[in-house]
Amino acid sequence: MALLLIDNNDSFTYNLHHQIIRLTGIETSVIFYDAMKDHNLSQYDGYIISPGPGHPSEYPDYSILFKLEKPIFGVCLGMQLINSYYDGEVSRLSECRHGVTLNIEYMDDIEEVAVYNSLYCNKVADGLEVIANYKNIPMALRHKQLPYAGVQFHSESFMTPNGDKILNDMLNSIGIV
Amino acid sequence: MEIKYSMICSIVLESFNKKEFLTFVKAIAEYSETDVLFSGEGYNGEDKSSCFIMPSESFEITQETKLDDVRKFIYMDDREVLGFLSYDYGLELKGITSDKERDIELGLLKKYLVYARHENNKLTIESDSPEIIDSIIEAYECYEIKDDNLESCDVSCNMTAAEYESKVAEIIEYIRDGQTYQLNLSMMFETEMEVEPMELWAKMAESHPAPFYAFINSLEGEIISTSPERFLRVEDGHVKSQPIKGTYRFSEYTPELDKMLTDSRKETAELSMIVDLIRNDISESCEVGSVKVDNHKYIMKVDNLLQMYSDVSGELNSDKDVIDLLFSAFPGGSVTGCPKKRSMELIEQLEPHARGIYCGSIFTIKDSKNMDSSIAIRTGFCKDEELKFFAGSGIVADSEPHKEYLESVSKAEKFLESFK
Repeated sequence: MALLLIDNNDSFTYNLHHQIIRLTGIETSVIFYDAMKDHNLSQYDGYIISPGPGHPSEYPDYSILFKLEKPIFGVCLGMQLINSYYDGEVSRLSECRHGVTLNIEYMDDIEEVAVYNSLYCNKVADGLEVIANYKNIPMALRHKQLPYAGVQFHSESFMTPNGDKILNDMLNSIGIV
Repeated sequence: MEIKYSMICSIVLESFNKKEFLTFVKAIAEYSETDVLFSGEGYNGEDKSSCFIMPSESFEITQETKLDDVRKFIYMDDREVLGFLSYDYGLELKGITSDKERDIELGLLKKYLVYARHENNKLTIESDSPEIIDSIIEAYECYEIKDDNLESCDVSCNMTAAEYESKVAEIIEYIRDGQTYQLNLSMMFETEMEVEPMELWAKMAESHPAPFYAFINSLEGEIISTSPERFLRVEDGHVKSQPIKGTYRFSEYTPELDKMLTDSRKETAELSMIVDLIRNDISESCEVGSVKVDNHKYIMKVDNLLQMYSDVSGELNSDKDVIDLLFSAFPGGSVTGCPKKRSMELIEQLEPHARGIYCGSIFTIKDSKNMDSSIAIRTGFCKDEELKFFAGSGIVADSEPHKEYLESVSKAEKFLESFK
């Protein structure tokens, strides 16, 4: 198995890269978003979309990725990109939070997670289900049929105590093991 | 012909305190071109100072420089390299175009004929020539201490308080749009320089000690750095970075103030963000699973400021060297913001000045697995009898514009006081 991590010029990409390799042992390559359209994407068995600055509408090239129908896991902007591809909406939060932790409802537990959060999925796309929440903010989403999932928070942050377990669960749920 | 510098000759001066070291530096600077790294009194574990005398080879870093050219120069022999990278070189690395006028080269590496090390009240002078060592000792012994008082001079700033504050408000809008989570905004001060740059530097080193003072003769002028911040250190492949974020200005120190800073949600978030960023930046060159946050939210006192910092460590990958690490992690995230590239694009658009050496890095490299470096903050550049210095602060979503302005000015205070 081989994975591709697409870096939206973010500053947490390699934290995620190390965490994925450490947990799965799967060879994971990193390319910049700008290089995606000229890259042979079909050689990989799954994709990870990094966090990054700005709104999903600034990243139109991701539509190529969704046509491949292979596992996709998105973090922060990455999750918002999945939501936007399926016609969900992403807009400004009334109170943005960066570099802090929140106690969110995750499956049946409460988890402390790190957030870097200016925008949120204010309307979740029909094909997606919300699997974690903080008040009215969707904190994790999963596609109802396809192996796509994402988290709004940062499992790779040093501030997320159970980050390894959460990432492992999420990757397992879309068939990346 | 290959020249081997073995540094076989050395002489040790015992009972040589930091004040004498500064006098030594001033004496030798009059005699020959001299660059210095200096750690002031009172910094645990940061006791080493070095004086680099008579540069014999140098290498200028330009847009065209390849990392292998850098390696070739640094690894050509065993002598330690002193060098710097300007912030503007960071723009080049990230592919960000700038049409601002640059007054300093993008970077410079230097090797020397003489190295003088100061540690534990002992000065060791090394060279491969006993004659040169003798001439240096003689220059020091003949030196007459002058007492150049700094003349008061008008200092101008390229932003008014209102301008700085309106830029802070603009940055908060970018943060709310998710374009950046934290951004460092700086301003530039200018004044005439009537004394020798070395005199000003040595006076500041004595009156306002900090762990990472540096004085470097660049090709274009003199760098006067009074930084408290380490960027990256590598010792036999063990990597350590110590980002600083979170500032509290005090007039009288009490230990309760430490708690005030560590309890602040805003200051903690500023530091935590940069810790995650530094983990990322060193991970590119470190072994998977090795990157750790050892100490979070430690406090240091520098001048009249309390500063919070963390220790982030990792193990250099066996197929990487210190040059891979330095160039991929540059410029330091604590002076750009997060995420780094978009924050730097916004800084380029928001600040009227080129940062030059400010927010760049000053470093020494011994070999492929050993280096130390500072972030060139609290730093000025002297050229054509004019001094530019800079100060800034990290803007986050809940920043108050006027407080950020005051924080920036407080970081410029030690320079401003010198011209009063």
